[in-house]
Amino acid sequence: MRELTVLYDPQCGLCRRAQAWLMSKPKYLEVVFVPASSDEARSRYPQLNHALTLNDLTVISDQGAVYQGPKAWLMCLWALREYREWALRLSSPELLPTAKRVISTISQNRYQLEGLGSVVLRGAR
Amino acid sequence: MNVVIASYVFYLGISIALTVWVARTLHKNGRVFLVDVFHGNESLADSVNHLLVVGFYLINLGYVSLALKLGYDVKNAQEGIEALSSKVGMVLVVLGGMHFFNLYIFSRMRRRASLIDAPPPVVPDGYTSVRGHSHA
Repeated sequence: MRELTVLYDPQCGLCRRAQAWLMSKPKYLEVVFVPASSDEARSRYPQLNHALTLNDLTVISDQGAVYQGPKAWLMCLWALREYREWALRLSSPELLPTAKRVISTISQNRYQLEGLGSVVLRGAR
Repeated sequence: MNVVIASYVFYLGISIALTVWVARTLHKNGRVFLVDVFHGNESLADSVNHLLVVGFYLINLGYVSLALKLGYDVKNAQEGIEALSSKVGMVLVVLGGMHFFNLYIFSRMRRRASLIDAPPPVVPDGYTSVRGHSHA
């Protein structure tokens, strides 16, 4: 695996900030960002259910492996040099259910969390 | 030669011998770890190994010479041996601490190096065809 494509929701401020943060971090592999359900996304992945990508963050590998929701978030962490260890830790059988629950909650409330997220991510930068 | 001077001589002899022994052990057995960390690059592993051992010698011999002064009077052989024992004991504890610190560094380097080859943490939800891929 040499490249990950991230289909993100360009309507959500939290996602745009998360995207900027991801872009600024050193990575193990190439990460490409494509707005979900855009023309570019549709031409790249003609067989994908694009309606689903607007609900959940979607990550697709260069071999076509699709990761959605919490798995996609973990794949993003896994791509980062500083956070791969965390991705592996969070996806252990003990922590994965909790990680999934937290990520789903954040994801479902992403429009409401926008203000809070901007504060948090600005601090993290 | 009075008791204090004799205990200093023994102290230096024992401490330096111990330092050399631990450093050589570290040098000999740390190499395997480092070769693994640097993915078989033996010259880089040898270089880092040597640099680590130099640092190990500097810190330990520095501590040995700083801790030489007894600071109180020793009147007979019994007190001399007691003083020597506590000094050498401190050197041993410092050497032990340094040794475990080195082991920690080795294992940390090894763990970090193994992350590069770590497989994806989760299984994909499915597969889709990829078209117009710029990254052939």
